[in-house]
Amino acid sequence: MIFSKVKNSTYTKASNWYRQFGLPAGFLLLSFLLMILPLEGFISSVKAVLAYVFIPQVRAAHSVSQYAQGVSHTVQELLQAHQENAQLKQEIETAHLLSAQAQDIFAENARLTELLQLKTSFPWKGVWAKVAYREPTQWNTVVIDKGSAHGIQERSAVIAAQDGKEGLAGVVIEVTESTAKVLLVRDEDFSAAVRLESGDEGLLVGDGPRAVQIKYIPLLAQVKKGDKVYTSSSSSVFPAGILVGEVSAVHERDSFLTALTVQVAPLIRSSAVQEVFIILDKGAH
Amino acid sequence: MLSAAKLILLFMLACVFHWALASAFAPWGFAVNSMLVFITAFCAILKPPFAYSMAFVGGLFLDFFGTKLFGNNAFTFTICACLICNLAPRFDFDELFPQMVAVFVLTWLAGLLNALLLYSFASSSLWPGFWDLLGGAVLDAVLAPIVFWLVRRILGKAPLCRQV
Repeated sequence: MIFSKVKNSTYTKASNWYRQFGLPAGFLLLSFLLMILPLEGFISSVKAVLAYVFIPQVRAAHSVSQYAQGVSHTVQELLQAHQENAQLKQEIETAHLLSAQAQDIFAENARLTELLQLKTSFPWKGVWAKVAYREPTQWNTVVIDKGSAHGIQERSAVIAAQDGKEGLAGVVIEVTESTAKVLLVRDEDFSAAVRLESGDEGLLVGDGPRAVQIKYIPLLAQVKKGDKVYTSSSSSVFPAGILVGEVSAVHERDSFLTALTVQVAPLIRSSAVQEVFIILDKGAH
Repeated sequence: MLSAAKLILLFMLACVFHWALASAFAPWGFAVNSMLVFITAFCAILKPPFAYSMAFVGGLFLDFFGTKLFGNNAFTFTICACLICNLAPRFDFDELFPQMVAVFVLTWLAGLLNALLLYSFASSSLWPGFWDLLGGAVLDAVLAPIVFWLVRRILGKAPLCRQV
């Protein structure tokens, strides 16, 4: 009897200890192991398995999100109709609201016309996609709503439009059937061979929150602030001639340097990327 | 069995909320982390073994989208779960104020810890910025009472929950 009580008490203590310390310590150890393992190989396999679990949820979430946007739009339309009905009795307010609505429609029309013009001017075969998701802590990565089912492959170049000009937005780094992950120009893992207006070539690299830079430019190159930067024909990923941005600062030529480094202001801001064009056939240029 | 199904349903809801809110607030630059709010609610309401498991899986969900490092969110969320599971007996998480304060503080803690882990393991700086994180923390805190109510409402007095 006493032995049984002691045994029960020991079991309860062990169980409490396991719940209080063992389980979280196990999870922390597991997370730590996942962090120290290289992203290729085992982690890729883990991600592939997790894709089966999470992608259906993400797809459902995306559909719900789009449906909610549709509902919100319908509610907005209903509210507008109600407002317009009330405004018929108040001519002045009606005029103000109609004017505001007209401005919105003109703005939307201008934006869509701009996109259509850009689309017809692109010399590459590709597909338009919308940014479906931005992970809150990953500002330089976006997930778009098109994937391998639409012909998108890894290392496809991604273009976006801003202020009426098209420019390099990033590169596709992961693809699922209906989504793809795009690494934007500012990301520190991003790099591309680029050509300056002067004809000199260098390697464009992102630097996270800091300025994008072009490295390995010949020391005697005539680079000045405001020079346009384009993708180079020597790039194996990007078609030549896509505008990347313009030179925002040139580092002083120190005697010990073997190459010049310049800072670049990308044309496409990471936070402004909403609709993108993915180049499917680089060779069509 | 029914409780487990409810828990899975809640996790799916958390994924939907996280996706929808992150997409909705991204253009304004706010780092809303509604998955963290759900995990805080789970840790305050569920028994520790289930709370830790949900925190770990929730972290993996966010890690799934990361490109630099895998496991940092799982680590961060487990740390947050440890804090809340140990604080739950001392605070009344049925009140609005403790819910909001806990979520506000954990959003900051998770943001700082994530930035530190990314810097340490991937030599990468993905600090979202003071004002973006503050905006996200405030939105998370505002969201907390709704999420706590939803979790409490769906789970009721399920066997998975802490005994009051």
